[in-house]
Amino acid sequence: MNSGQITLDELERDALTELVNIGVSRAAVSLRKMVGKPVLLSVPAVDIVTQNAAAALIGQRESDDLVAIRQEFGGAFAGQALLIFPESNSVDLVLAILGNDVEAADVTSLRDEALAETGNVILNGCLSTIANLLRQSLQMSLPKVIYGDGNFIFDVGVERENSGLVLFLYIDFSVQDRDIRGYIAMIMDLPSLATLKHLLGDFIARVTADSNWTLAPH
Amino acid sequence: MPTQQDSLDPTSLGSDLPELQRQLADAQRRLLLTLEAAGAAGAWRWDMGTQRLTADARFAVMTGQDPLELAEGVPTSRFFNGIHPGDVARVRIAVAGILAGAAVFSKDYRLLREDGGVRWIHADGGTILDDDDQPIEFIGTLVDVTDRKRTEDHLRIAQTAGQVGTFEHAAGYGTVSVSHQFCSLLGLHPTSALPVRTINLLVHPEDPQVIDRTAPAEARPGRNIEFRITRADTGEMRWLARRGEYVPDLEGRGFRYIGVIYDITESKRIEERLRLLNEALSESVRERTRERDQVWQNSRDLLTIIGANGLIRDLNPAWTSILGYKTSELVGRPFADLATDADRDAARMLASGEAGARRETIEFALPVADGSRRWFSWSATVDGDLTFAYGRDITAERQQAEILRETEDQLRQSQKMEAVGQLTGGIAHDFNNMLTGVIGSLDVMKRRIADRRYDDLGRFMDAAVTSAERAAALTHRLLAFSRRQSLDPKPTDVVQLIASMRDLLGRTLGEQITLETILTDHCWQAVTDANQLESAVLNLVINARDAMPDGGRLTISVANESLSNRSGGNDELTSGDYVVVSVADNGEGMPQEVIEKAFDPFFTTKPIGQGTGLGLSMIYGFARQSGGHVKLASVLGEGTSVSLYLPRNTDPERAAEPAPTVSTPRGRGESVLIVEDDAAVRLLVVAVLEELGYIAIEAPDGHHALPILQSGARVDLLISDVGLPGLNGRQLADMARLWRPELPVLFITGYAAMAATRADFLSPGMDMILKPFVVGDLASKIRTALGVTLE
Repeated sequence: MNSGQITLDELERDALTELVNIGVSRAAVSLRKMVGKPVLLSVPAVDIVTQNAAAALIGQRESDDLVAIRQEFGGAFAGQALLIFPESNSVDLVLAILGNDVEAADVTSLRDEALAETGNVILNGCLSTIANLLRQSLQMSLPKVIYGDGNFIFDVGVERENSGLVLFLYIDFSVQDRDIRGYIAMIMDLPSLATLKHLLGDFIARVTADSNWTLAPH
Repeated sequence: MPTQQDSLDPTSLGSDLPELQRQLADAQRRLLLTLEAAGAAGAWRWDMGTQRLTADARFAVMTGQDPLELAEGVPTSRFFNGIHPGDVARVRIAVAGILAGAAVFSKDYRLLREDGGVRWIHADGGTILDDDDQPIEFIGTLVDVTDRKRTEDHLRIAQTAGQVGTFEHAAGYGTVSVSHQFCSLLGLHPTSALPVRTINLLVHPEDPQVIDRTAPAEARPGRNIEFRITRADTGEMRWLARRGEYVPDLEGRGFRYIGVIYDITESKRIEERLRLLNEALSESVRERTRERDQVWQNSRDLLTIIGANGLIRDLNPAWTSILGYKTSELVGRPFADLATDADRDAARMLASGEAGARRETIEFALPVADGSRRWFSWSATVDGDLTFAYGRDITAERQQAEILRETEDQLRQSQKMEAVGQLTGGIAHDFNNMLTGVIGSLDVMKRRIADRRYDDLGRFMDAAVTSAERAAALTHRLLAFSRRQSLDPKPTDVVQLIASMRDLLGRTLGEQITLETILTDHCWQAVTDANQLESAVLNLVINARDAMPDGGRLTISVANESLSNRSGGNDELTSGDYVVVSVADNGEGMPQEVIEKAFDPFFTTKPIGQGTGLGLSMIYGFARQSGGHVKLASVLGEGTSVSLYLPRNTDPERAAEPAPTVSTPRGRGESVLIVEDDAAVRLLVVAVLEELGYIAIEAPDGHHALPILQSGARVDLLISDVGLPGLNGRQLADMARLWRPELPVLFITGYAAMAATRADFLSPGMDMILKPFVVGDLASKIRTALGVTLE
């Protein structure tokens, strides 16, 4: 919630939450197509915190080791997107996606690949939707799976030119009757966040002006 | 259609319209009331293709729109009709999200009411997708949640104010629905759902976990628990309490636990501090009790607690160890009963607290079980009705004091015996000298009589008598020393006295010592007791002789000396004229420390048996009583000189009487009653009386004497021994005076003690003569006694 210089007001946070919701809804559709089962995704809240705070936050929530799928993004606003799960949950996620009849040995060997693909669907769906809705273009790198604790995942202790802030999103998965909790984090520097805030303002102006506003091609 | 037109009567239509409109309004109000009562949901359908909104009557009533219009379809902008201006933007954003592809629409917002108030509604909706997964319809329902909101507000405020965190956990689920307050109590970032694990990991390992993973079989109140947590943000340890209940899951699967947590750290801290204080207090009480108990148990003093009634309440074990009592047998008995009869009052005073109130210490003994007694020094303090008495065993101290007293008595006795030894030794020595004079003279006389040489007998008889008289005088001098017998100072020709002693002195000194006398012709007379002076000179001569064991020269000189204040210089001597008698030897002399002690009684440098140690002290006493002084000068190795200063006779009429011619006064047939239990003495006295011309009547004791005194027989004088069996001499004399008030009485006594009390003992017409006596003295006393009556 506290970002130091940049904060989002309530409407902006609502708007951003809504954008992410749209993104994960679309990602859920994609996942449903992948696994052939109903997939529900929802994002109840958004915070903006420092990287250290994000690491601490996830550290106090999740005492286990974590697994994260990381993708760089670039465009009007740039940074890193992370989909984070407790490592113990990741097997559930893989099984949910691959199906229960997969051999245990295959789960181990396929895990990173399955995670990377799942992450890509969710993060890509999420980010590209947001960019589209904000009428921006976005490029994304290939997903990368990393293991470690919160400090490691959020690069705590690493010197950076621009100290980044983290858009921290909670995400609830419900796949095949499995409750899987996870987090989406978007690490952006201050200029990118300022741009995002500006774009959110535009978005709010547009949707409140026209009740039938919808995703217009541009 | 025309048929229908025809069937309508415009007139009747026009007249019926107001009625119909009224009925419609009624129906609408009834519907509204019904809706209000039912609280039912209003439904909407947003067609994205046609951009038309349709909704049911409930939706229309809640949003304040015409149900008919909404049933037929209106522009989608009508969806936002009636929404509180503050909530419009939020709702528009959410709707935009749905239109753009978001899956879920779930919002709470306010609708304006006709009466100006607001109602809270919850809008729950979603999209319907076509085959290409593109949203084509946005449908959902509105539910009036005003009451719920109000309740929620109350709850939220209550929770915030009370810092109560709520949570809800369905059995078997890994996550818990939580309130923000719940999160902040745990130091977690505010959120609405937390993993069970996350919550439970914050709980202290020894404490029960917040979330029970096992659910009960039926609905029941949950266990109330208290537990410590480590706050996730600060690491601080806090105490929390949990309360809650299990309720059936609304979805019909098992149970949910709905509970609250709240911080109890402060009360725990106070509780803990109270507990610690309490423990410290208890511990200190225990400690004190233990200490006191130690004193009570281990004291070597008798400790007892006595009630106001004087009954013993408790006793410490010392009573058993010291006195051998069983304490259980004594408890309840009166304390005073423990003491012996003699000490009962003291014990009662102690038990009553009187002694304690006065802070007195009382000593009394208690009998020991074995029959002996032990002494205790008792003190007591009073506290309310109770008297606390402490008895310190002083038996050993008293025994030691007793031993000390006995030892002191023995020491005194032995000192006395030593003094007596020295005294008797010295007296024996002096007596031997005198007996030598008596026996020697008698021996010479005996041999001369055998040789029929009678010419010079008188000289030896005189020497024998003189020696014997000096022996008698010695006992008198002892009295003078010990009893301060008053002197009989008379003008005395000292030169003549010394000259008369010369023969005796010469014999006493022996052949190795040369005696020289320096006698001034014109010497003054001195006022002194001649006998005492003789004795003093003899003593000094003997001392001088003993100081010259290898022989030497002894000088006795008599000289006049006038002391002025200036020339005297001796504060012990008043100015005036003195006759000075000096006895000087050239013997060993005395060291200074001996000189300093020379006048002390019993001080002697001679071996035991060879001197009384009284000589110089007696001489000193004699000289001072005579109004003179003694000067001692001695140089070690050169000799000693002792000078007697005797005051000069300044009364010319009291010239020294010449030695009286021996003429024993004779009786004229007077009748004398002699009462004496010693037959030998009685015989002697009777013989003397008859020889002197008296008629003697004998009685051995008072018993025999009384009838004679009571009778009419002539009795001119009563001579009685003082120490008689039965009536003593004085009692006899008193009785005699009852019948013969003027009867003169002469007591004979051998007891030195009588001499000291002469004045107290004797009444007028009574006199006393000390044994031993010479016939002449007895004759004089008898004559004097009879003369008194005659006069």
